[in-house]
Amino acid sequence: MTDAARPGSVLVVGGGVAGFAAVRELRRRGFEGELTLVDPQGLPYDRPPLFKEFLTGDADAHRLLLAPPPWFAEHRVALVARRAERLELDDDGAARPRVVLDDGAVLTADAVVLAPGGRPRPLAVPGGDHPDVAVLRTRADAERIAARVHFGTRVTVIGGGFTGAEVASAAREALAEVTLVSATAAPALTAVGPALAARLHVMHAERGVDVLEGLVTRIDHDDTEAPHRVHVRRLDGSEASVVADLVVAAVGIAPDTALAEAAGLEVDGGILVDAAGRTSHRAVYAAGDAVRRRGTEGTSPPAARHWEPALHSGQDVAAAILGEEVPARGTPWFWSDRHGVHVEGAGSMLPVPGGRIVDRAVRGTVVAGFALDADGRMTGAAAVDDPTAVKAARRIIDRGIVVDPARLADPDVPVRALLRG
Amino acid sequence: MAREINVGPASAVPEGESLVVPKETTGTKDHIAVVHAEDGEFYAIDDTCSHQDYALSEGFVEGACIECPLHGASFDLRTGEALTLPATTPVGTHVVEVRDGDLWLTVQDDA
Repeated sequence: MTDAARPGSVLVVGGGVAGFAAVRELRRRGFEGELTLVDPQGLPYDRPPLFKEFLTGDADAHRLLLAPPPWFAEHRVALVARRAERLELDDDGAARPRVVLDDGAVLTADAVVLAPGGRPRPLAVPGGDHPDVAVLRTRADAERIAARVHFGTRVTVIGGGFTGAEVASAAREALAEVTLVSATAAPALTAVGPALAARLHVMHAERGVDVLEGLVTRIDHDDTEAPHRVHVRRLDGSEASVVADLVVAAVGIAPDTALAEAAGLEVDGGILVDAAGRTSHRAVYAAGDAVRRRGTEGTSPPAARHWEPALHSGQDVAAAILGEEVPARGTPWFWSDRHGVHVEGAGSMLPVPGGRIVDRAVRGTVVAGFALDADGRMTGAAAVDDPTAVKAARRIIDRGIVVDPARLADPDVPVRALLRG
Repeated sequence: MAREINVGPASAVPEGESLVVPKETTGTKDHIAVVHAEDGEFYAIDDTCSHQDYALSEGFVEGACIECPLHGASFDLRTGEALTLPATTPVGTHVVEVRDGDLWLTVQDDA
């Protein structure tokens, strides 16, 4: 690509990890042009702590920041604390994209990166739209929840996935009375495998969280004795209800495609992008939780909506904008912290046909699981409190190393040792 | 005040591995990780990740970088620079030299 094809200005919409990573990577790669980051929340901050230490008051707002405030001036990044209302594009691509802000201002740039992230899915049951049914996505959401979660507060968390598990754990740590409603007895099965999923799920009850396995059917709000009553149909068909002062709905996120859709970009379960984050318009790129890769139609995005894929997609978009090679990314990886344990996974723990799962246990407790294909190549790994094992496993997966299942199951053999073959 | 500490034979630290010199020995704020990088050189950095409390010495060495095992933040061993999020601030670096087969670490007394 010639220098003339490099854009003179880039505008990024969204200050989460994907949007900020795009900005940081553009400068890291020597982009000298105008760089603007639009986010109504101002300084970019990191989201994972919102579900963990920020909820329990163990991290302040400053600790969340993805870069110290002076970084933006030092790197000549204009921060615009406004909401992008509209993206205007010409079909023929002759004019530069225009972003209209909520104060009516219009910004233009040679290239636009959309990184709007996801929105929490609403709880689609009667009473699910009450203001006391909180969701958690932004710092403001976390502040609202943290302010209400304390000793004795009755909190019902709906959703047993990563977000629900972390919020239930944080609320319990804050000495709230917590009920977790989970649709299954083993959430996160494909991410951590059956043995760890079961262990992690049981941990809720061990730490004093009441667990209801079933689906929420409705929430009543107007009883003065019981501010909110969450009705649940258990998996066995029986009915239960639980009284709550605060309900937190953690039933997944949906990609925020509103801006892209209104601008006429191709959208299908996410803003459609190629491997480098290019959308259907030549001057518009997209990254983070709002996107879906072309060619993955009909498949679930199990690992796509974690932190690191968002980071990488932002960095990759920066490379693509500058006409540089987009690096190959290895097996996706995630982590989760709850009830004092650190969970990590890489790849998928859903065994491929002909494959199997090898568990590693210490005195009867499963500490890690590995998915192997029929040839003994690793396709997934997960561990509790052993981040090095998962980082090693990830490299084993990426390099296609065939591992000895007996050594994999042996807790006395560091997974790292298997990396050397 | 700077002083040199002999932290043992270089041959005891294979490429890709680290040696932790406790702060009780170094007199510095943090433990120091002496890392044998994949470029063949030895580097010394503060052992605690600048993002969250975790030992970088347990991380993976890639080229002249080290990756924190906890959240994957990567640091340049030569400069301490934080190369990837979630870390945003550098870690401290120290001078380490191989002389007559031994590793000599130079530390500045913080106190």
